[in-house]
Amino acid sequence: MAVEVKIPTILRSYTDGSKAVPGDGATLSALLDDLESRHAGLKGRLLTDEGALHRFVNIYVNDEDVRFTGSLDTALSDGDSVTILPAVAGGSF
Amino acid sequence: MTRYESLTEAVGGTPLVGLPRLSPRWQPTGDGPAVRLWAKLEDRNPTGSIKDRAALAMIAAAEEAGLLTPGCTILEPTSGNTGISMAMIAKLKGYGMVCVMPENTSEERRQLLEMFGARIISSPAAGGSNQAVAMAKKLAAENPEWVMLYQYGNPANAQAHYDGTGPEILADLPTVTHFVAGLGTTGTLMGTGRFLREKVPGVQIIAAEPRYGELVYGLRNIDEGFVPELYDDSVLTSRFSVTSYDALRRTRDLVEQEGIFAGISSGAILHAALGVADKAVKAGMAADVVFVVCDGGWKYLSTGAYSGSLQQAAERLEHQLWA
Repeated sequence: MAVEVKIPTILRSYTDGSKAVPGDGATLSALLDDLESRHAGLKGRLLTDEGALHRFVNIYVNDEDVRFTGSLDTALSDGDSVTILPAVAGGSF
Repeated sequence: MTRYESLTEAVGGTPLVGLPRLSPRWQPTGDGPAVRLWAKLEDRNPTGSIKDRAALAMIAAAEEAGLLTPGCTILEPTSGNTGISMAMIAKLKGYGMVCVMPENTSEERRQLLEMFGARIISSPAAGGSNQAVAMAKKLAAENPEWVMLYQYGNPANAQAHYDGTGPEILADLPTVTHFVAGLGTTGTLMGTGRFLREKVPGVQIIAAEPRYGELVYGLRNIDEGFVPELYDDSVLTSRFSVTSYDALRRTRDLVEQEGIFAGISSGAILHAALGVADKAVKAGMAADVVFVVCDGGWKYLSTGAYSGSLQQAAERLEHQLWA
Protein backbone atom coordinates (compact mmCIF):
# COMPACT_ATOMS: atom_id res chain seq x y z
CA MET A 1 0.00 0.00 0.00
CA ALA A 2 1.70 3.17 -1.17
CA VAL A 3 1.16 6.01 1.29
CA GLU A 4 2.55 9.45 2.01
CA VAL A 5 4.11 10.06 5.42
CA LYS A 6 4.33 13.62 6.80
CA ILE A 7 7.39 14.16 8.98
CA PRO A 8 7.54 16.79 11.76
CA THR A 9 10.42 19.29 11.72
CA ILE A 10 12.07 17.69 14.72
CA LEU A 11 12.49 14.34 12.86
CA ARG A 12 13.56 15.64 9.44
CA SER A 13 17.19 14.92 10.21
CA TYR A 14 16.25 11.31 9.39
CA THR A 15 14.68 12.22 6.02
CA ASP A 16 17.33 14.60 4.64
CA GLY A 17 15.08 17.49 5.49
CA SER A 18 12.05 16.17 3.58
CA LYS A 19 8.65 17.23 4.92
CA ALA A 20 6.98 14.17 3.45
CA VAL A 21 8.31 10.82 2.26
CA PRO A 22 6.70 7.91 0.41
CA GLY A 23 6.27 4.61 2.23
CA ASP A 24 4.75 1.19 1.79
CA GLY A 25 3.06 -1.38 4.03
CA ALA A 26 -0.22 -3.20 4.66
CA THR A 27 -0.17 -2.05 8.29
CA LEU A 28 1.38 0.83 10.21
CA SER A 29 3.91 -1.58 11.67
CA ALA A 30 5.00 -2.72 8.20
CA LEU A 31 5.16 0.91 7.09
CA LEU A 32 7.52 1.81 9.95
CA ASP A 33 9.79 -1.11 9.00
CA ASP A 34 9.76 0.10 5.41
CA LEU A 35 10.64 3.66 6.47
CA GLU A 36 13.42 2.39 8.73
CA SER A 37 15.04 0.64 5.74
CA ARG A 38 15.54 4.03 4.05
CA HIS A 39 15.60 6.39 7.05
CA ALA A 40 17.62 4.55 9.68
CA GLY A 41 16.92 5.69 13.24
CA LEU A 42 13.44 7.09 12.60
CA LYS A 43 11.57 4.10 14.01
CA GLY A 44 13.57 4.27 17.23
CA ARG A 45 12.27 7.81 17.83
CA LEU A 46 8.65 6.74 17.41
CA LEU A 47 8.57 3.49 19.36
CA THR A 48 9.67 2.55 22.86
CA ASP A 49 12.20 -0.23 23.52
CA GLU A 50 9.22 -2.53 24.03
CA GLY A 51 7.94 -1.70 20.55
CA ALA A 52 4.92 0.39 21.60
CA LEU A 53 4.13 3.86 20.32
CA HIS A 54 6.02 6.48 22.33
CA ARG A 55 3.76 8.33 24.78
CA PHE A 56 4.53 11.75 23.31
CA VAL A 57 4.22 10.73 19.66
CA ASN A 58 0.92 10.78 17.83
CA ILE A 59 0.46 9.09 14.46
CA TYR A 60 -2.63 9.75 12.36
CA VAL A 61 -3.91 7.84 9.34
CA ASN A 62 -6.16 10.17 7.33
CA ASP A 63 -6.36 12.48 10.39
CA GLU A 64 -7.52 9.72 12.78
CA ASP A 65 -5.31 8.82 15.76
CA VAL A 66 -4.05 5.24 15.32
CA ARG A 67 -4.30 4.57 19.05
CA PHE A 68 -8.06 4.19 18.47
CA THR A 69 -7.86 2.21 15.23
CA GLY A 70 -5.61 -0.69 16.22
CA SER A 71 -2.36 1.16 16.95
CA LEU A 72 0.54 -0.41 15.04
CA ASP A 73 -1.84 -2.99 13.52
CA THR A 74 -3.88 -0.23 11.83
CA ALA A 75 -4.49 -1.30 8.21
CA LEU A 76 -3.36 1.02 5.44
CA SER A 77 -4.86 1.53 2.00
CA ASP A 78 -3.34 2.95 -1.16
CA GLY A 79 -3.27 6.75 -1.06
CA ASP A 80 -3.64 7.04 2.72
CA SER A 81 -2.04 10.03 4.37
CA VAL A 82 0.03 9.26 7.48
CA THR A 83 0.98 12.17 9.76
CA ILE A 84 3.48 12.00 12.62
CA LEU A 85 3.21 14.76 15.26
CA PRO A 86 4.61 15.45 18.72
CA ALA A 87 1.97 15.60 21.48
CA VAL A 88 1.15 19.18 22.47
CA ALA A 89 -1.12 20.95 24.86
CA GLY A 90 -3.90 22.35 22.70
CA GLY A 91 -7.64 22.76 22.43
CA SER A 92 -9.68 25.73 23.48
CA PHE A 93 -8.06 26.20 26.82
CA MET B 1 -35.87 29.52 35.65
CA THR B 2 -33.90 32.30 33.99
CA ARG B 3 -33.53 34.70 36.95
CA TYR B 4 -30.26 34.55 38.88
CA GLU B 5 -28.90 36.17 42.03
CA SER B 6 -25.45 36.59 40.46
CA LEU B 7 -23.67 36.07 37.15
CA THR B 8 -21.84 32.95 38.35
CA GLU B 9 -25.18 31.21 38.85
CA ALA B 10 -25.92 31.69 35.14
CA VAL B 11 -23.14 29.29 34.11
CA GLY B 12 -24.33 26.19 32.18
CA GLY B 13 -27.83 25.30 31.06
CA THR B 14 -26.84 26.11 27.46
CA PRO B 15 -29.10 25.41 24.45
CA LEU B 16 -28.75 22.35 22.23
CA VAL B 17 -29.58 23.38 18.68
CA GLY B 18 -30.19 21.17 15.65
CA LEU B 19 -28.39 21.71 12.35
CA PRO B 20 -30.94 20.70 9.69
CA ARG B 21 -28.84 22.04 6.81
CA LEU B 22 -25.43 20.64 7.74
CA SER B 23 -26.74 17.27 8.95
CA PRO B 24 -26.31 14.48 6.37
CA ARG B 25 -29.97 13.43 6.75
CA TRP B 26 -32.18 15.41 9.13
CA GLN B 27 -35.28 13.21 8.57
CA PRO B 28 -35.34 9.49 7.81
CA THR B 29 -35.91 8.80 4.09
CA GLY B 30 -36.04 5.77 1.82
CA ASP B 31 -32.23 6.01 1.69
CA GLY B 32 -31.80 5.41 5.39
CA PRO B 33 -32.41 6.58 8.97
CA ALA B 34 -31.84 10.13 10.24
CA VAL B 35 -28.25 11.18 10.92
CA ARG B 36 -28.52 14.47 12.77
CA LEU B 37 -26.05 17.00 14.13
CA TRP B 38 -26.72 19.03 17.28
CA ALA B 39 -24.67 21.99 18.50
CA LYS B 40 -24.24 22.58 22.25
CA LEU B 41 -23.92 26.37 22.32
CA GLU B 42 -21.35 26.97 25.07
CA ASP B 43 -20.78 30.52 23.87
CA ARG B 44 -23.98 31.29 25.79
CA ASN B 45 -22.11 31.10 29.10
CA PRO B 46 -21.48 34.40 30.95
CA THR B 47 -18.01 35.15 29.53
CA GLY B 48 -18.81 33.53 26.21
CA SER B 49 -17.09 30.16 26.44
CA ILE B 50 -17.36 26.63 27.79
CA LYS B 51 -14.52 27.45 30.20
CA ASP B 52 -16.89 29.19 32.61
CA ARG B 53 -17.99 25.73 33.74
CA ALA B 54 -14.50 24.48 34.63
CA ALA B 55 -13.32 27.80 36.08
CA LEU B 56 -16.31 28.03 38.42
CA ALA B 57 -15.95 24.40 39.54
CA MET B 58 -12.19 24.66 40.13
CA ILE B 59 -12.51 27.88 42.14
CA ALA B 60 -15.36 26.41 44.22
CA ALA B 61 -13.34 23.24 44.91
CA ALA B 62 -10.27 25.28 45.95
CA GLU B 63 -12.40 27.39 48.28
CA GLU B 64 -13.94 24.30 49.80
CA ALA B 65 -10.49 22.78 50.37
CA GLY B 66 -9.34 25.99 52.04
CA LEU B 67 -6.69 26.66 49.36
CA LEU B 68 -8.31 29.87 48.16
CA THR B 69 -9.05 32.42 50.82
CA PRO B 70 -9.98 36.13 50.56
CA GLY B 71 -7.09 38.20 49.17
CA CYS B 72 -5.47 35.26 47.34
CA THR B 73 -4.17 35.50 43.76
CA ILE B 74 -5.02 32.82 41.20
CA LEU B 75 -2.32 31.81 38.67
CA GLU B 76 -3.12 29.86 35.51
CA PRO B 77 -1.48 28.91 32.18
CA THR B 78 -4.13 29.74 29.58
CA SER B 79 -4.43 30.75 25.94
CA GLY B 80 -7.37 32.90 26.91
CA ASN B 81 -10.77 31.40 27.56
CA THR B 82 -10.03 29.82 30.94
CA GLY B 83 -8.22 32.96 32.02
CA ILE B 84 -11.16 35.15 31.00
CA SER B 85 -13.58 32.91 32.92
CA MET B 86 -11.36 32.84 36.01
CA ALA B 87 -10.74 36.58 35.86
CA MET B 88 -14.48 37.30 35.81
CA ILE B 89 -15.12 35.02 38.79
CA ALA B 90 -12.02 36.33 40.60
CA LYS B 91 -13.31 39.88 40.16
CA LEU B 92 -16.70 38.99 41.67
CA LYS B 93 -15.08 37.12 44.54
CA GLY B 94 -12.23 39.52 45.23
CA TYR B 95 -9.23 37.45 44.12
CA GLY B 96 -6.24 38.60 42.08
CA MET B 97 -5.61 36.91 38.71
CA VAL B 98 -2.35 36.20 36.86
CA CYS B 99 -2.40 34.44 33.45
CA VAL B 100 0.59 32.89 31.69
CA MET B 101 -0.20 33.02 27.98
CA PRO B 102 1.75 32.30 24.77
CA GLU B 103 2.47 35.61 23.02
CA ASN B 104 0.95 34.39 19.72
CA THR B 105 -2.66 34.32 20.91
CA SER B 106 -5.24 36.77 19.60
CA GLU B 107 -5.25 40.42 20.63
CA GLU B 108 -8.90 40.28 21.66
CA ARG B 109 -8.10 37.74 24.36
CA ARG B 110 -5.42 39.98 25.84
CA GLN B 111 -7.76 42.95 25.86
CA LEU B 112 -10.52 40.93 27.50
CA LEU B 113 -8.20 39.58 30.18
CA GLU B 114 -6.93 43.05 30.99
CA MET B 115 -10.47 44.41 31.09
CA PHE B 116 -11.42 41.76 33.64
CA GLY B 117 -8.42 42.87 35.70
CA ALA B 118 -6.00 40.02 35.02
CA ARG B 119 -2.25 40.49 34.84
CA ILE B 120 -0.71 38.75 31.80
CA ILE B 121 2.73 37.15 31.76
CA SER B 122 3.72 36.23 28.19
CA SER B 123 5.50 33.02 27.33
CA PRO B 124 7.48 32.72 24.05
CA ALA B 125 5.44 31.90 20.92
CA ALA B 126 7.92 29.24 19.85
CA GLY B 127 7.36 27.27 23.03
CA GLY B 128 3.61 27.22 22.53
CA SER B 129 1.24 26.16 25.24
CA ASN B 130 3.68 23.55 26.56
CA GLN B 131 6.03 26.32 27.62
CA ALA B 132 3.19 28.37 29.14
CA VAL B 133 2.40 25.36 31.33
CA ALA B 134 6.07 24.93 32.32
CA MET B 135 6.45 28.64 33.06
CA ALA B 136 3.32 28.71 35.23
CA LYS B 137 4.57 25.72 37.23
CA LYS B 138 7.86 27.53 37.83
CA LEU B 139 6.08 30.75 38.88
CA ALA B 140 3.85 28.78 41.24
CA ALA B 141 6.93 27.31 42.93
CA GLU B 142 8.54 30.76 43.24
CA ASN B 143 5.38 32.46 44.55
CA PRO B 144 3.85 30.25 47.19
CA GLU B 145 1.17 32.86 47.90
CA TRP B 146 -0.23 32.36 44.37
CA VAL B 147 -2.72 29.54 43.91
CA MET B 148 -2.48 27.63 40.63
CA LEU B 149 -5.72 25.80 39.89
CA TYR B 150 -4.03 23.98 36.99
CA GLN B 151 -6.83 23.09 34.61
CA TYR B 152 -4.82 20.24 32.99
CA GLY B 153 -4.73 18.20 36.15
CA ASN B 154 -7.57 19.52 38.31
CA PRO B 155 -10.31 16.87 38.71
CA ALA B 156 -12.89 19.64 39.28
CA ASN B 157 -12.43 20.59 35.61
CA ALA B 158 -13.71 17.21 34.37
CA GLN B 159 -16.22 17.01 37.21
CA ALA B 160 -17.90 20.23 36.00
CA HIS B 161 -18.75 18.42 32.77
CA TYR B 162 -19.71 15.17 34.50
CA ASP B 163 -22.15 17.15 36.66
CA GLY B 164 -23.26 19.72 34.07
CA THR B 165 -22.59 19.26 30.36
CA GLY B 166 -23.25 15.50 30.33
CA PRO B 167 -26.59 15.52 32.19
CA GLU B 168 -27.78 18.54 30.17
CA ILE B 169 -27.13 16.72 26.88
CA LEU B 170 -28.83 13.52 28.03
CA ALA B 171 -31.88 15.44 29.29
CA ASP B 172 -32.23 17.35 26.01
CA LEU B 173 -31.45 14.44 23.69
CA PRO B 174 -31.89 10.97 25.22
CA THR B 175 -31.18 9.44 21.78
CA VAL B 176 -27.61 10.81 21.68
CA THR B 177 -25.22 8.37 19.94
CA HIS B 178 -22.03 10.46 19.59
CA PHE B 179 -20.40 13.26 21.57
CA VAL B 180 -17.66 15.31 19.89
CA ALA B 181 -15.55 17.95 21.64
CA GLY B 182 -12.15 19.61 21.51
CA LEU B 183 -9.14 18.06 23.18
CA GLY B 184 -7.15 20.61 25.16
CA THR B 185 -7.12 20.10 28.89
CA THR B 186 -9.34 17.10 28.05
CA GLY B 187 -11.76 18.12 30.84
CA THR B 188 -14.85 18.41 28.59
CA LEU B 189 -14.28 15.01 26.98
CA MET B 190 -13.31 13.21 30.19
CA GLY B 191 -16.23 14.50 32.27
CA THR B 192 -18.98 14.43 29.65
CA GLY B 193 -17.58 11.22 28.18
CA ARG B 194 -17.61 9.36 31.50
CA PHE B 195 -21.14 10.49 32.27
CA LEU B 196 -22.54 9.51 28.87
CA ARG B 197 -20.72 6.16 28.86
CA GLU B 198 -22.37 5.30 32.18
CA LYS B 199 -25.84 6.22 30.94
CA VAL B 200 -25.88 5.50 27.20
CA PRO B 201 -24.73 2.04 26.10
CA GLY B 202 -22.56 2.17 22.97
CA VAL B 203 -22.21 5.96 22.95
CA GLN B 204 -19.16 7.15 21.04
CA ILE B 205 -16.87 9.82 22.48
CA ILE B 206 -14.82 11.60 19.84
CA ALA B 207 -11.98 14.08 20.30
CA ALA B 208 -10.98 16.77 17.81
CA GLU B 209 -7.57 18.31 18.29
CA PRO B 210 -6.03 21.21 16.41
CA ARG B 211 -3.19 20.58 13.97
CA TYR B 212 -1.15 23.74 13.75
CA GLY B 213 1.40 24.93 11.24
CA GLU B 214 5.05 24.04 11.21
CA LEU B 215 6.20 26.86 13.45
CA VAL B 216 4.02 25.78 16.33
CA TYR B 217 5.49 22.29 16.31
CA GLY B 218 8.89 23.34 15.05
CA LEU B 219 10.84 23.33 18.27
CA ARG B 220 8.79 20.72 20.01
CA ASN B 221 10.91 17.92 21.36
CA ILE B 222 9.26 14.53 21.24
CA ASP B 223 10.96 13.45 24.45
CA GLU B 224 9.48 16.40 26.34
CA GLY B 225 5.91 16.18 25.09
CA PHE B 226 2.89 17.05 27.12
CA VAL B 227 -0.14 14.95 27.95
CA PRO B 228 -2.57 16.51 30.45
CA GLU B 229 -2.84 14.65 33.74
CA LEU B 230 -6.63 14.50 33.31
CA TYR B 231 -6.35 12.56 30.06
CA ASP B 232 -7.50 8.94 30.06
CA ASP B 233 -7.70 7.55 26.56
CA SER B 234 -10.04 4.73 27.63
CA VAL B 235 -12.85 7.32 27.77
CA LEU B 236 -12.51 8.08 24.04
CA THR B 237 -13.53 5.95 21.07
CA SER B 238 -11.69 7.99 18.43
CA ARG B 239 -9.54 11.04 18.04
CA PHE B 240 -9.10 13.30 15.00
CA SER B 241 -6.43 15.82 14.16
CA VAL B 242 -7.91 18.75 12.22
CA THR B 243 -5.90 21.19 10.09
CA SER B 244 -6.36 24.95 10.23
CA TYR B 245 -7.85 24.83 6.73
CA ASP B 246 -10.55 22.29 7.62
CA ALA B 247 -11.32 24.08 10.91
CA LEU B 248 -11.79 27.39 9.08
CA ARG B 249 -13.86 25.81 6.32
CA ARG B 250 -16.28 24.36 8.85
CA THR B 251 -16.36 27.55 10.92
CA ARG B 252 -17.57 29.33 7.78
CA ASP B 253 -20.05 26.53 6.96
CA LEU B 254 -21.55 26.97 10.43
CA VAL B 255 -22.25 30.66 9.98
CA GLU B 256 -23.20 30.48 6.29
CA GLN B 257 -25.55 27.50 6.52
CA GLU B 258 -26.82 27.52 10.10
CA GLY B 259 -26.27 31.10 11.25
CA ILE B 260 -23.96 30.09 14.10
CA PHE B 261 -21.00 32.47 14.48
CA ALA B 262 -18.46 30.28 16.26
CA GLY B 263 -14.78 30.33 17.11
CA ILE B 264 -12.27 28.38 15.06
CA SER B 265 -11.89 25.39 17.38
CA SER B 266 -15.65 24.80 17.03
CA GLY B 267 -15.06 24.46 13.28
CA ALA B 268 -12.48 21.77 13.99
CA ILE B 269 -14.97 19.96 16.22
CA LEU B 270 -17.69 20.19 13.54
CA HIS B 271 -15.24 18.72 11.03
CA ALA B 272 -14.76 15.64 13.21
CA ALA B 273 -18.54 15.49 13.86
CA LEU B 274 -19.23 15.48 10.13
CA GLY B 275 -16.64 12.71 9.74
CA VAL B 276 -18.39 10.42 12.23
CA ALA B 277 -21.82 11.37 10.81
CA ASP B 278 -20.62 10.32 7.38
CA LYS B 279 -19.49 6.97 8.79
CA ALA B 280 -22.98 6.48 10.30
CA VAL B 281 -24.60 7.23 6.93
CA LYS B 282 -22.36 4.68 5.20
CA ALA B 283 -23.15 2.09 7.89
CA GLY B 284 -26.90 2.76 7.53
CA MET B 285 -27.12 3.67 11.25
CA ALA B 286 -29.35 6.29 12.84
CA ALA B 287 -27.22 8.84 14.70
CA ASP B 288 -27.68 11.89 16.92
CA VAL B 289 -24.28 13.55 17.01
CA VAL B 290 -23.79 16.25 19.65
CA PHE B 291 -20.81 18.55 19.22
CA VAL B 292 -19.57 21.47 21.30
CA VAL B 293 -19.48 25.06 20.12
CA CYS B 294 -16.79 26.21 22.58
CA ASP B 295 -17.07 29.93 22.00
CA GLY B 296 -18.27 32.58 19.56
CA GLY B 297 -16.20 34.05 16.74
CA TRP B 298 -15.79 37.49 18.30
CA LYS B 299 -12.38 36.88 19.83
CA TYR B 300 -10.92 35.73 16.51
CA LEU B 301 -11.98 38.54 14.16
CA SER B 302 -8.48 40.05 14.18
CA THR B 303 -6.98 36.76 12.98
CA GLY B 304 -8.65 37.31 9.59
CA ALA B 305 -10.41 33.96 9.88
CA TYR B 306 -13.68 35.30 8.54
CA SER B 307 -12.48 37.42 5.62
CA GLY B 308 -10.85 36.74 2.25
CA SER B 309 -10.45 33.31 0.67
CA LEU B 310 -10.19 30.20 2.81
CA GLN B 311 -6.64 29.61 1.63
CA GLN B 312 -5.56 33.13 2.58
CA ALA B 313 -7.25 32.88 5.97
CA ALA B 314 -5.64 29.48 6.63
CA GLU B 315 -2.22 30.89 5.80
CA ARG B 316 -2.75 33.82 8.16
CA LEU B 317 -3.72 31.39 10.88
CA GLU B 318 -0.85 29.00 10.27
CA HIS B 319 1.37 30.23 13.08
CA GLN B 320 -1.22 31.21 15.65
CA LEU B 321 -2.69 29.15 18.42
CA TRP B 322 -6.29 29.23 17.29
CA ALA B 323 -7.72 26.83 19.83
